[in-house]
Amino acid sequence: MTAQLREPATAVNDVVDAADVVHRAQRGDLDAFEQLYRIHAGAVLALCRRMVADEPRARELVQDIFVRAWEALPGFRGQSALGTWLHRLAVNVVLASLRTSRRDDRRMVETDDAMGAQGSLADRVHAQLDFDAALATLPDGARTVFVLHDVEGYSHEEIAQMTGIAPGTARAQLWRARRALMRRLER
Amino acid sequence: MTDGGTHLSEDERHALAELPASLLAGNDRGAHLRDCAACADDVERIRALVTAARDAARDAPLPDDLWPAIRSRIEARKVVAMSGAPMSSTGSLRPRPVARVGALVTFGALTAAALMLGVIDNRRPPANGPADPGAQRSAAVTATTVADSTRAYQQEAQQLLDRLELQRALLRPEAARALDDDLRTIDAAIAELQDAIAHDPENPALRQLLASSYRQKVELLRRAGNAG
Repeated sequence: MTAQLREPATAVNDVVDAADVVHRAQRGDLDAFEQLYRIHAGAVLALCRRMVADEPRARELVQDIFVRAWEALPGFRGQSALGTWLHRLAVNVVLASLRTSRRDDRRMVETDDAMGAQGSLADRVHAQLDFDAALATLPDGARTVFVLHDVEGYSHEEIAQMTGIAPGTARAQLWRARRALMRRLER
Repeated sequence: MTDGGTHLSEDERHALAELPASLLAGNDRGAHLRDCAACADDVERIRALVTAARDAARDAPLPDDLWPAIRSRIEARKVVAMSGAPMSSTGSLRPRPVARVGALVTFGALTAAALMLGVIDNRRPPANGPADPGAQRSAAVTATTVADSTRAYQQEAQQLLDRLELQRALLRPEAARALDDDLRTIDAAIAELQDAIAHDPENPALRQLLASSYRQKVELLRRAGNAG
């Protein structure tokens, strides 16, 4: 499964208009690029927030991503949806940032997995406790894999390719991240 | 596979939790859940978390100050690019180049030599009398063309670098090291040229050398991409 940012609901005319906006942005029209920003930046910001769990850093990354997108846009050939292209670019920029500033100073404290009855976790999760706050407690590596897999929908193989870790390691990171999140959401 | 033949393994629990409920009933391991309350409860808990995560994939409200900051950065870079000054890489995927001897040292030396000649030639005082307007126009057109060419190579190099980052895991370690060495050498040459252009922005020879350096970088990255 390949993740992509949700494309706006479109009628045929909207698709044509969107293509025209992309073409204008590719030719250097900053106003057209702003339209693309307005469509996609919310999803990009949400992605950055979850992956780095640091609001100022997430905003800086959104800036970096759109500046990079502006520079790379002339090379966009329309073989995928712009949202998909932008999503991949965003993930690459965030991963590069995480690689260059490893801040795994937080450690996931492993405790015994209490596998028995845990009360109404489902109800509590569905009530959407502060999910992003719980995510922020994970180490960078585990959070990255969790966000890419469970939130953004990438496969373990895709995550392995993007992050340079083995698919089995990605899987193990995901299991650990899920367990840690469940413990925190159950408190 | 179950733990001790009693419970589903960790892998199985997570895998089942990702399955749509409609597929769970027909799954061999899913059948175990009907008889094992502990596994069923755990799979349900994981499923609730996965569902919550997918629900969380919503757009974030945009802060008002983000776009103006992005726009000003883009406009600043447009000015920098037009003036030919060095362009810093946004969120660069690799560290800044460090000058060092490498496989492309000859390239660097030739570039430096050409650079010196170009600078010297370009700084020669103009001949007496008014400058030829045709020649000036021609030089301006050449400078613009070369600047466009440089920008195109820069963009392509960045795209290739992005792609290469994804392929890096597939490269043999020694190949990756050799590639990094070559890139550093070319980047060092590019940095020297950009520095020279910053002091002599109108020098067409420097700009052509810069475009040529970027072309070399793009060709190297293309070869690496094909190898990967």
